[in-house]
Amino acid sequence: MPGPVSRRELLAQLGVTTAATLGASAAGIGFAGVARAQEKPKGNIPDKPFRIGHMTFFTGPGAVLGEPMYKGNLLAADEINAQGGLLGKRKIEVLKADEAAGTDANVKEMRRLKLSEKIDMFMGITSSGNTPALGPAAEELKLLTIFVDGCTDFLFDKAVPNPRYVFRITNIQSADGSTCALAVAMTWPDVKKVAHIHPDYAYGRNCHQHFSIVSQKLMPGAQNVSEAWPKLFSTDFTPHITKTLAAKPDLLVTSVWGGDYISFYKQALQHGLFGKMKVATTLALGTAPQAVGKDHPEGVIAGVHANYHFSYPAGNRWPLNKTFVEKYYAKFNEYPNFQAEGAYTATHVLRTAVEKANKLSGGWPDDEAIISQIEGMMIAGPGGYVYIRPDNHQGYKDAITGFSKNVPEYPFPILDPARIITIPIRNITAPPGWPKGEPTSTYTWIDQTWPTVKHA
Amino acid sequence: MDIFFIHVFNALLYASVLFLIAGGLSLIYGVMRIVNLAHGSLYAFGAYVTAWVVGQWLAGAPVPVLFLLLPAGAVAAALLGAVLEPTLLRPFYRRAEEYQLLVTFGLLMLLEDLMRFFWGPYPLTATSLFETMGSLTVGGSVYPRYNLLVIVIGVVAAFLLWAFVYKTRFGVVLRATSQDMRRASAMGVNVNRVYVQAFTIGCFMAGLGGAIVVPSQSAVLGMAVDALVLAFVVVVIGGLGSLEGALFGALIVGVVREIGVSMFPEIELAILYLIAVFVLLVRPAGLFGKTA
Repeated sequence: MPGPVSRRELLAQLGVTTAATLGASAAGIGFAGVARAQEKPKGNIPDKPFRIGHMTFFTGPGAVLGEPMYKGNLLAADEINAQGGLLGKRKIEVLKADEAAGTDANVKEMRRLKLSEKIDMFMGITSSGNTPALGPAAEELKLLTIFVDGCTDFLFDKAVPNPRYVFRITNIQSADGSTCALAVAMTWPDVKKVAHIHPDYAYGRNCHQHFSIVSQKLMPGAQNVSEAWPKLFSTDFTPHITKTLAAKPDLLVTSVWGGDYISFYKQALQHGLFGKMKVATTLALGTAPQAVGKDHPEGVIAGVHANYHFSYPAGNRWPLNKTFVEKYYAKFNEYPNFQAEGAYTATHVLRTAVEKANKLSGGWPDDEAIISQIEGMMIAGPGGYVYIRPDNHQGYKDAITGFSKNVPEYPFPILDPARIITIPIRNITAPPGWPKGEPTSTYTWIDQTWPTVKHA
Repeated sequence: MDIFFIHVFNALLYASVLFLIAGGLSLIYGVMRIVNLAHGSLYAFGAYVTAWVVGQWLAGAPVPVLFLLLPAGAVAAALLGAVLEPTLLRPFYRRAEEYQLLVTFGLLMLLEDLMRFFWGPYPLTATSLFETMGSLTVGGSVYPRYNLLVIVIGVVAAFLLWAFVYKTRFGVVLRATSQDMRRASAMGVNVNRVYVQAFTIGCFMAGLGGAIVVPSQSAVLGMAVDALVLAFVVVVIGGLGSLEGALFGALIVGVVREIGVSMFPEIELAILYLIAVFVLLVRPAGLFGKTA
């Protein structure tokens, strides 16, 4: 067992930092944007279009996440098609499917896309309720799949423990609650009374669990004084706010997102909530950056799903982000969220894998060859380096969160550029070789291997 | 103590909006005997129209003008209702109920898609009204004044509806048609006209519900189905077709939800349905429904 450790030491060990590190460049890292001249592919490449079945929420309240995901996929496909397509020959065609049809219907639709529409690849998915059903179906169909989100730990912990065809690009869900808790421990270590408001479904539960286990380790003096579990896609939070205020907490933690969050913060403002406690969120600025108004209080821990916010890295410090945001804005007249970045990067993961596989064997690579190239791939996307772990096919990139701030350049709040919090993802997620655990492998890993701090 | 009053306000706030939605649903069923599954969409339509008019189209107008424009969603929903009833619903009155359910369910999906087509997937807000009214201090607590306005609108709407149905000549015709459509027709009542009027009023109420929640909440996709399900819980408790039932059902749901959220947060979602199940077991026609 590790000896007594202070909070400051543990935060340092975990690499939680507000100084934005760029990371050392590693050999063999590809990059997502098509900025380089394409080498001539080896062998004969068919010119048959490459069909991607993109399933995400196009209707219902989930469309707020689904639309940007689809747009990210489209933008990358446009870039690739402008160069003639994959390997300069196979244009990408994106077929839409609506995730709102329900889990069973989604599995059927995936089969139909594979068997009738003859898609070459499946992409998308927003909901954590859907990936655990679609993952096994994709394996059974031997359908190359990159899930963009649906980031539940359950997918690769339990539903598809040994994936062959299925990958996922955005950070694993447990990273979100942990990132939020670390940001709190670093910023407001003296918090004693904590209230929670989470949407009552897998994501809200997951955030609550991982926030709690991390805060037990770093802020052992903190206690939960109130919990509220509104239904997902609620717009009326008055009773939850009243309950929270009545408990007089120092801190409110919430994973309410999307339209729900917009309604929540507007109502919380009129109830004077932000003046009475600190607030930490997991997705305040994550869903639709432009949907939050400048009336949103500054200094709130404004989560971006521990993945990506278009304002970071800023300027030309990370050119891939600059060009991505500019192109995305030019095409869709809005700013990309983490889903857009995920789908965009996923499409370039595919392109990179196809090009690498072609270099090795010539001709159009079969799925096995593409998969072997995706496994272990490290690629630079707009949000930073993404590493696709070969054992569980999960994408890992450094987690990020920050503080809401109004700046003159944008008509909505962004992450305070002076106080971005980044955390090396390896320090907050269960490593390869760690046994599968309950409720998540990351949870048991944190529980069993992190020390509990004894003093500040 | 002040927290107690806040809880009461919250319960009344929820009940006011629910009454507007469920009252409209019940009125339409009471007169026309159709279960309008698209009713929630008219609520959502009201919300979207108001959000668009107040929050985007005329967003810069002076605040008093915006307040006058608040009912725009209700008027739009009423107009939509006045078009839908004669064109889509009337041909199905003589058919089996399944057809009405299919048509109104189809309409629910269609309207949802149309709203997405016109207003996009992102939430629409019209919070300037909510913000301008500011907050009230009740003891040590702060409460938004706008919420109190919503409660007042709910109470006034309930009163006006009661007066309309029980104190006017049109109300007599409406109730007569509701009790026996054929006999009312034989007495010279233009049933088609009564139907379109009842449907329009029902839609107006749903649209008003949507319009008044938009400043403090937002117009989002999916709000139609949510509202429909809650309205059904209310009418199951109160009795389908009864306005008193809708009023009491809404109050019960409002109070129970408020208690549920603060005392049993884990079963917030289940508790309303548990009450509906209980009422169905004890009084299958609802508290104010007439048992056949």
